[in-house]
Amino acid sequence: MSNSSQNLVGSVMVVGGGIAGVQAALDLADTGFYVYIIESSEAIGGVMSALDKTFPTNDCSMCILSPKLVECGRHPNIEIITLAEVQSVAGKAGNFQVKVFQRARFIDMDKCIACGACAEKCPRKVANQYNLGLNKRKAAYVKYPQAVPLKYAIDKDHCIYFEKGKCRACEKFCPTNAVNFEDTDREITLNVGSIILAPGLQPFDPTSFDSYGYARHPNVITAMELERILSPSGPTRGKLIRPSDGGEPERIAWLQCVGSRDINHCDNGYCSAVCCTYAIKEAVVAKEHIKGSLDTAIFYIDMRTHGKDFEKYYNRAKQSGVRFIKARISIVFPVYETGNLFIRYTDGAGRRVEEEFDMIVLSVGLETSPAALRLAERLGIELDDGRFALTSPFRPVTTTRPGIFVCGAFQGPKDIPQSVMEASAAAAETATLLAPARASLVREAVEFEEVDVAGEEPRIGVFVCHCGVNIGSVVNVPAVKEYAKTLHYVEYVEENLFSCSQDTQDTMKEVIAKHKLNRIVVASCSPRTHEPLFQQTIREAGLNKYLFEMANIRDQNSWVHQAEPDAATGKAKDLVRMAVAKVGLQQPLEETKLPVTKSGLVIGGGVAGMEAALTLADQGYPVTVVEKEDVLGGHARKLLTAWTGEPIASFLEELIQRVQAHPIITMRLNSEVKEVKGFVGNFSTTVEADGIEEQIPHGVAIIAAGAHFHKPTEYCYGENDRIYLSLELDEAIRERCDAVVQANSAVFIQCVGSREPERPYCSRVCCTHSIKNALRLKEINPQMDVAILYRDIRTYGLREGLYRKARRKGVMFIRFNVDRKPQVEIVANELRITVFDLTLQRSILLKPGILTLASAITASKTESLAKLFKVPLNPEGFFLEAHMKLRPVDFATDGVYVAGLAHWPKPTEECIAQAKAAAARAARVLAKDFIAAGGAVAVVDKKICCGCQSCLGCCPFEAVSYLEQEARCEINQAVCKGCGTCGAACPSEAITLLGLSNQQIYKQIDEGLSG
Amino acid sequence: MNTKIRILLQGGRVDGFFAYKTTSGFPFPTLFTLENIQELETWRPTPARYPILKLLLAQARKNPHAAYGILVRGCEERGLRELFKYQQLEQDKVIILGQACTEGLAKYCECWKPYPDALDYGKPAPAMAKSRKVEELEEQHREARLDWWLSHFNRCIRCYGCRDVCPVCFCTECSLEHAELMLGEILPPDTSFHLVRAVHMGGRCIDCGLCEEVCPARIPLRSLYKKINRLIEEILGYNPGISKEKSPLSFLGEEMSLPSGPR
Amino acid sequence: MEEKKFEPRILAFLCNWCSYAGADLAGVSRLQYPSNIRVIRVTCSGTVSPHHILHAFQKRADGVLVAGCHIGDCHYIKGNYMTLKRLKFVEGLLDFAGYDPKRLRLEWISAAEGIKFAGVVREFTETIRHLGPAPPFDAIPLLAGNM
Repeated sequence: MSNSSQNLVGSVMVVGGGIAGVQAALDLADTGFYVYIIESSEAIGGVMSALDKTFPTNDCSMCILSPKLVECGRHPNIEIITLAEVQSVAGKAGNFQVKVFQRARFIDMDKCIACGACAEKCPRKVANQYNLGLNKRKAAYVKYPQAVPLKYAIDKDHCIYFEKGKCRACEKFCPTNAVNFEDTDREITLNVGSIILAPGLQPFDPTSFDSYGYARHPNVITAMELERILSPSGPTRGKLIRPSDGGEPERIAWLQCVGSRDINHCDNGYCSAVCCTYAIKEAVVAKEHIKGSLDTAIFYIDMRTHGKDFEKYYNRAKQSGVRFIKARISIVFPVYETGNLFIRYTDGAGRRVEEEFDMIVLSVGLETSPAALRLAERLGIELDDGRFALTSPFRPVTTTRPGIFVCGAFQGPKDIPQSVMEASAAAAETATLLAPARASLVREAVEFEEVDVAGEEPRIGVFVCHCGVNIGSVVNVPAVKEYAKTLHYVEYVEENLFSCSQDTQDTMKEVIAKHKLNRIVVASCSPRTHEPLFQQTIREAGLNKYLFEMANIRDQNSWVHQAEPDAATGKAKDLVRMAVAKVGLQQPLEETKLPVTKSGLVIGGGVAGMEAALTLADQGYPVTVVEKEDVLGGHARKLLTAWTGEPIASFLEELIQRVQAHPIITMRLNSEVKEVKGFVGNFSTTVEADGIEEQIPHGVAIIAAGAHFHKPTEYCYGENDRIYLSLELDEAIRERCDAVVQANSAVFIQCVGSREPERPYCSRVCCTHSIKNALRLKEINPQMDVAILYRDIRTYGLREGLYRKARRKGVMFIRFNVDRKPQVEIVANELRITVFDLTLQRSILLKPGILTLASAITASKTESLAKLFKVPLNPEGFFLEAHMKLRPVDFATDGVYVAGLAHWPKPTEECIAQAKAAAARAARVLAKDFIAAGGAVAVVDKKICCGCQSCLGCCPFEAVSYLEQEARCEINQAVCKGCGTCGAACPSEAITLLGLSNQQIYKQIDEGLSG
Repeated sequence: MNTKIRILLQGGRVDGFFAYKTTSGFPFPTLFTLENIQELETWRPTPARYPILKLLLAQARKNPHAAYGILVRGCEERGLRELFKYQQLEQDKVIILGQACTEGLAKYCECWKPYPDALDYGKPAPAMAKSRKVEELEEQHREARLDWWLSHFNRCIRCYGCRDVCPVCFCTECSLEHAELMLGEILPPDTSFHLVRAVHMGGRCIDCGLCEEVCPARIPLRSLYKKINRLIEEILGYNPGISKEKSPLSFLGEEMSLPSGPR
Repeated sequence: MEEKKFEPRILAFLCNWCSYAGADLAGVSRLQYPSNIRVIRVTCSGTVSPHHILHAFQKRADGVLVAGCHIGDCHYIKGNYMTLKRLKFVEGLLDFAGYDPKRLRLEWISAAEGIKFAGVVREFTETIRHLGPAPPFDAIPLLAGNM
């Protein structure tokens, strides 16, 4: 090992605690690295936490994000440093010294129990920035109710004490003495091996657009403000009202491209890539809020719904009555009496139209914040034209400074799944760089000796918490305590001011030993936040962590029945009784460890497959690549350049060379997967090549099986050798074919086979590809007439620059309608194209030298592969990931991942990012020596099971299998996630969800109703 | 009919065949094998109904490698299909011959398909799309319906006859005997006895009506289960014994096929 | 003796990931709702079997609330599909057996919907209060004379 690798530091800094930063941190922490998250605000969560719903599934944003935030907050190898920013970086890749400046919080995070007393007593109200100033918060505040860390802070700039030198009401009322006015800003120096930048985005501020009157008219709002208004936990509690008078709007318009695709009003020439789809989402969700009567209109230049399932989302929105009008609105006029607004535009038929709306939403673009620009400067990384971190398409998450990686919207404007993919990819790059230092700085969970209490009669200890005054001021805690003593099996009861305090934890350990307690109930707050803490305590006392139960007498009792102390006390007794009854039936649960086969299998030898294989192998995990063809490289072999112009061929050559030369990558060409056995960590796959079968053991699998290009049967394709598909034109240009070089004119037809009923999706790459080729033709022959026949130009992100350039170079863009597609004829070897130009509203005849059809990307035949790995396909035949937003490369089936075109059409750089992401996710499994099985999972009692398989189809994770020999079902303990859906399907109650058995549920029902 | 059965037995296609012999003028369900093949002569078409699938199931469990033939009605054919789906019988080990029910029987059963798809004997009687008994109950006020059911449930003597005769009750251990779910040994059992069984019939009941036939307390169980079938059809678009796939209550399915729910 | 006001006994099954979190959020936001509800925390609303619901009515629950993640938000991807199918069926069954199906309520409540949770509990408690005590499941043995 070289000197440099010995100096590698096994910790990583992630700058930014939004979804990208959180994902990168989790992936790295799970792979054996210690992670610092540097968050500039009071809590992690970023922009995603403030969104109402997410497209295209309309999932609740907070619901899907919150578990990840909580996981981050709890992770033993993630340290969240809030209110902090990076000052300077010294050192080099593998060993950086980073100076971090942290602002004072004035609340001791160790003491704060988030009871909210400080905020309640604080007399100062200030605009709530989290809700974009739409409502007020106090100067003592928590960023948002589900914040992680869930700790209050004091806003120094608005605090009365800091202004006038007196008040300190918060300090007086804080039950835990957490308020500390002596707190000071500090500087911390951290030693890390690598830095991942995920500072996120800033929504464009449209104040400068005078013509929209955003600053003057209250009913002109930004899309981000609308998100907060629509959010059930937002300033209007999810009621859609207009700001001027609180009235319910009847007509709302969205104006697209505000602060995007605009170099006149601002310097954002790029497309923000997400606004079209978020506007659709907001329109649809707004319609749901105001049932039936709401008129919604989206004014756009091009509808850019290029993501997975976005086109269907767009089509559904049209069906549900959202109006889409192609027009760029330049001025918004106010109607002063009503607060309404009107706009003028030219409709499809060329008529001038004036329309009045109650509210106007500006679909503001994404841009890099000044803070992030500062960060880039301090770190010395280069930026691109759009002021995003500069990266190469072949290393999409690598900045210009070695050892510093980037992900999320700072890499370029993008949506959540793409940010998550890049986050995992950045984690993969880091893990590769620091591979020798893996596991050097992580804190391993300490194992505690467990006392065997299985056969013993329950001896239950109950701890009833006052939570300062949070519980005690409503619930009669002493009465609950006395009551608990009367319950069966209860041996010991005490009341605490704070059950979660360190001294109570110590007492708890002592009394467990002293009174030989074998089960514990804590009646306090929510198990969602505090169960892990108490479980840790009883583990330290030698008890199995499952011998624990909480009664939520605060969040779901004292806080919500403040005016009914008697009823709340009665309810607390009931909740304690239920918890005691449940824990009395609980048996210790064992978690077994299954060894992990530390190698991977990659299916597909294209760019995605090879990148994934290399990323795993460079971290030290052997990989077998299975490719059905006799060569590596896939479609990239035909592709000329990436969209930025970098040639693919040299990149591909090097990639293939690296894969072939890699000591721990095994290639299997002309091969096919025949059979897959096993599960995460322990797969055994049969691969067949030339009739010979081979068994390959592996711990993870990455499916990168690629896709096809649609061969059209329209537009005379195949009838003339001057009609090309996009990749064929690449080849013809590379070979300088006469037909191309000598052509006087060229035509491209877009959306060939895409965005049609048979394939209701956008193939994402074709607009950029055609424009790139149009520019190439212009380079070959600047006099050549080049026309692109299109429906919407979808040069998302920085690709917009190409589109602008093409227009500047004189490429003609002719828009057509899908109902009136261009007609292609060949008359005496002459290509004749008739197209109805929507802008000119008349037909045009073109006679080009060459015609290129931008044909759709279609799924390969992957049904059998999907079946073998028990993973799903979507209706179009592409692999369907576990979650469209937050698990873009995972499957519900653990240990199997997807990357590249097999997942969805996408350009090279996104394939590479996704491949690295898949490898990062896979490395989480391979980094562990064992995978834990068991715990709170479901088990089948084979004596009772009758083999009917009613449970089998109910398992979302394919954990249930049918054993032919015994004619019984069985649940794989390593795959089961403990949802219990199978148990509810079993007619004989042969299935028990450990930790929540039917008996325990019945008993809780009995006790819950016997009060 | 008996010729067909004879050919199956003599040709070695099946090891045994379930049909009816006639003894003293009464039909009697019998397992015909090469040994008692001569008794086939006494086979007569009969409207009498027996839990013949239960006999087949017991026999198949005893001899898992043997192939059996069976003469079935429409409901019994549906029952067989369910038993195949739930892996209780192997489809390729069961040869089916079918007989249509008489019009009288079809009317009595309010049967919506009184004939099997595999029809070897008899003429299909007209199907009854509706059940008058269920409709009468549906038209009543809910309170009246509750009283009506209680007046019947109150006669239950917990003999488990309904379960024991049911062709699609194949569990090793029955929820109706779970101590936590079924309270004590009080007679008559409370309503949950009937509702738990009704829940289990959801997506399974093939409407043979044997439960009601055997009930010594004459509880009109068939109306309850007919309604169950109707609910399953309305909510999940599923017909036990007809639909090819398994019951939607036994697999997750797609969002598109979900019933409408809360928002 | 003065007649005691009817206090409904309501049992709620809340999934851990969304609805229980929504209930916690209602608490954090100090949204007040009636205290009649007793919550059983389940991993997924798909854990709740018709047996559990029937058992609750057998044990004299006046109302049963089952709440889970919205369709598409399920932590277990599709567990709540089963909840929806089962609950619709049990609702129909209860109705036919003479029990008001309004006593069984299914709701999708997300982790962000504290307000919705409090609202549902308020409304449901009111509905049950209005319906009065649930008819018991207990059988009434028939006297010989009634036969």
